[in-house]
Formats: sequence, C-alpha cells, structure tokens
Amino acid sequence: MTFKLPPGLALQKVDERIMTLNVGPQHPGSGHMRLIVQIDGDYIVACDPDPGYVHRGEEKMAEYRNYILNIPHLERPVIHDSCNVLYPYVLGAEEILGIEVPERAKYVRVIASELNRCIYIMYWLAIYGIFLGHSTMFMWPAGDRELLIDLMEKMTGARVTHAHFIPGGVRNDLPPNFEDVCLRQVNYFEKRIKEYAAIFYDNPILIARTRDTGVLSRQDAIRYGTTGSVLRASGVDYDLRVKEPYDVYEELDVHTNVMKEGDSYARSKIPWLDMLESCNIIRQALQKMPKSGSVRTKLKPNPKGKGLDSVYKRVESGRGSLGCYIVSDGKVEPYRVKLSVPSFRNLIALPNLLRGEKLGNMPSVYWSLNYWPVEADR
Amino acid sequence: MGTATGIIRALNSGIKHIAMKRFTLRYPEEKLKFVGDGYQFDPSTGVGIAGLKGRHMLFHDHCTGCQLCSIACEGVAEAIAMVKVPEEQKQNKKSIMPQIDYGKCVFCGLCVDACPFYALYMTNDYELSSFSKEGLIYTPAQLQVKPYVAQDSEIQISDRGATHG
Repeated sequence: MTFKLPPGLALQKVDERIMTLNVGPQHPGSGHMRLIVQIDGDYIVACDPDPGYVHRGEEKMAEYRNYILNIPHLERPVIHDSCNVLYPYVLGAEEILGIEVPERAKYVRVIASELNRCIYIMYWLAIYGIFLGHSTMFMWPAGDRELLIDLMEKMTGARVTHAHFIPGGVRNDLPPNFEDVCLRQVNYFEKRIKEYAAIFYDNPILIARTRDTGVLSRQDAIRYGTTGSVLRASGVDYDLRVKEPYDVYEELDVHTNVMKEGDSYARSKIPWLDMLESCNIIRQALQKMPKSGSVRTKLKPNPKGKGLDSVYKRVESGRGSLGCYIVSDGKVEPYRVKLSVPSFRNLIALPNLLRGEKLGNMPSVYWSLNYWPVEADR
Repeated sequence: MGTATGIIRALNSGIKHIAMKRFTLRYPEEKLKFVGDGYQFDPSTGVGIAGLKGRHMLFHDHCTGCQLCSIACEGVAEAIAMVKVPEEQKQNKKSIMPQIDYGKCVFCGLCVDACPFYALYMTNDYELSSFSKEGLIYTPAQLQVKPYVAQDSEIQISDRGATHG
C-alpha cells in the first residue's frame, strides 16, 4: 500500500535553484489559506493554493435545521456580504415552500443587497490597499464603510450578520424616515468613493504595480469558470443582475462595467465601478419602491416542501455569481443544500496567473481575484 | 497624464483632508444613536419592528412558559434554557421562563419571532461584557429589567465631511 501525503507535505527533491515557500495559513497576506509557492530567485515558478483551513460544514449543518433556522448560520461564510450570501437560499426556499413575496419586500431586499455589496467591496478594497502598502487606502474605505453599516444597522438591527432575509420577504419593515437618511448617506458615500480615483486608481505608483501583472485572457477567464469582477475585468459582459434578473432587478436600470485588460489593475477597478453602480441602483429602488404595504408573508410554523423537489437559484454577490441548490424530500428540513461559491471558482485561476510573476506581485494578484477564504471553504 | 502630475494629484487629494472633520466615533464617551427601542415582533401581522438586536427583555406577565423561544434557539445557538422561577403567574402554570446565555447568543432575534405572546423583545443594550462566563448568563429576573442606554451620536453630513455629531 502506498501512502500519499497531501500536497506540500510530501518530501520534495532539494533543488539548488527552486525554493518552496509557504505563504500562510497565518500570514496576513493570505487570509485563512496557504499558498505553496515555488520560487526561482524572485520569480514564481509554480503556485499551489491550499484552501480548507476554515471549513465549517455549512452544507451538512443545513440538513438538520428547518428552512427558517438555517438562516443565521448560512450567512456566516461572508459576514460582510451576509445578505447576498443568503439571497439564493431564500429565493430557493420560497420556490420550494410555495411562498409569494410582497412587492415592497423585493425592493427592500434589493436595497439591502446593494448596500451589503458596497460594504463587502469597501472591506476588500481596504485590504487591497494595505497589501500594496497604501495605508491611506486602508483607512479611508474602512472609515467610509461606517456610513453604510449605519444604514444596515438602522434597517436590520445588526451591523454584520443581519439575518434579515427570510422566505416570504424580510423580517422587519424599514424604520420611519429611512428613505431620506439612506439617500443622504448614499449620496455622500458616492461623493467619497469618487475621491478614491485621484489617490488610488489614477495614482502612477499603483498603476506601475498592478498594470500587466497576472493577466487573465478572455478565453482563459471563460475556460476556468471565473465569475463576477474577475470575468468582467477580462472583457466578458456578464452580470446576473442583467442576464438572469431576480426579484425586481428587471425593473431597474443596471449597467454592467466591463474592462478588457484582464490584469490586476482592471480586476481592482471593476469592484469600485460596481460600487458606483450600486449607488445608482439604490437610488432607483428608493424611488420606485411602494411607499406602504406588507414586507413579509406570514409563515406557518415549520413550513414544509411539497414532496420531492429541487431548485437552483443564483444571484450576483459582491464576488460573482453565487448559487444555491436545494433538494427537498417533503420534510421540515431540506434534504440537501449545496452552495456554489464564486470565491472557489476565482481561486482556480490563481496558479496560472502567478506563473512567471515576481513574488512581490503575489499579494496584488491574489487579492485582486476577489477571493474570500471562508466562503471558498464554507 | 504624467507620473509627476499623478503623484501630485494623489498627494493633494490627501492634503485636502486636513480641513475635514473627524469621522471617528470616540466610543466610550460618545455612543451611537439607534432607531426605536430595539427589535420587536408583532405575531398578529407576522412582521417585525425595526430596532437594534441587543440584549433581550422578558415580560414576566406575558410569558406562559411555552418554550417556543427555546425550541427556536436549539437550531441556532442553544443559548436559551428554561428555568424555574419562584414567582407564580396566572398564565404560567409550570413557572418556567427563559434564561439566556450571552456567551452563546448570536443576536439573530429568531426567538423574538417565535414568541406568540408579546413576551420577548430585544433592547438597545449591547454592552454585555463580563469578567466571568457566569456573568453572561442572564436569569429571568435580570432580563426583566429595562436597560438604560445612552444614545447621543448620529452621523451628520456637512460640506466639511461627515462626522458623528
């Protein structure tokens, strides 16, 4: 019997030129995952991402709880983007349980989802800034995020992990005077993030560090199955809010941002453009939202599916298309919940992007993939 | 645009912030303002009322000891245990009421949604830290007390930037 060691642990032939370097799992430049990088001098020869350090068994846990009690733990993989990570599950559960959603609830969901997307991207941008040694770009997004977190706190009662979406709508109505406060803070937020262009995106130092590093061609982006900002940065016009509109996105005017370069710079700029687009969507949704009405269909206790049934729903999250596959066997608990996450899809492209790059470019290429380790491991 | 111009524009963008107001909240001295008195739920309509999901508040004269909050929490955090209370309420024959362990609670508020008798609400109290694990376990008598929460700061937006005024 031959015993196979996991990758990275196997004894490797000592080569005089090639050195194997472990980046992570405790390294701040990798998140909760390890990158096994082989370097020749300063150049990366091969890279082997090793995720799985924060596996939580979300999918198995979902088989033991009913459709409502699954909500608090299913939003844990990405706590900054908790509304979007819960969105496909809620859409799927509604179809299985046969629940209609009131019109106002759909708009409230869209607003919450877009606010959450901005909160996630600001956090991502803050870390991208500090990875590149740009401390101001760490402080500003981390501070300006507070404007939106404050809105989410007023709306849902929690600053992160809101547990706000529920099959049948949202859990509570908007607080009084929320529309005015939201409009005021989103307008100011948009003004603030436009200022990031001069200090970060048009900064020649950033351009010198990220331009033409980790280039992902259009064909490769499609072949590896990348989604979201990575796919759009490689010149593919693909956004689920436009291509497969869910809830009320077809009534809103959503513009997709596409860049052709496919390098780290394009991948870091697309999320920023998405935030500006999100501000537009929030303003449209606030305008078109019915001013009164119910936000939640009353549920029976312990709702059940109608026999053997399965549904796959996907939404555009802050990182890309996020899918949820639910199988029901007519019981109170779902038979199977499978999350198809964008982080893992985007990670697949990493070894090919890093080959031939300098080691100093590794953080900028790696984090530009819009990767969230906990979501990939779920 | 040349490299020098770009760097000067980037520096200028930072220098402009010298005249801007401080956005940071000085936490223990200043505290955030919330909407309402905390998250509540109306079982007759099935819709909640917006508010902060903080520490719970238990109304002893409404609680019937039905354990629905405890059953809801079993699937989430297992933070709620039903304990005997010395007092006797007319509607509570078994004299049991929820006791909440804030070392486990995730503040999702599904226990509030589960309560059909308007007995369990959430309040604005979020300062729950304690020196011991036992200090985080709130008995029904402790949950009955309405907390006092200082709220004085709200985000203000002016021409010189946003601030917690």
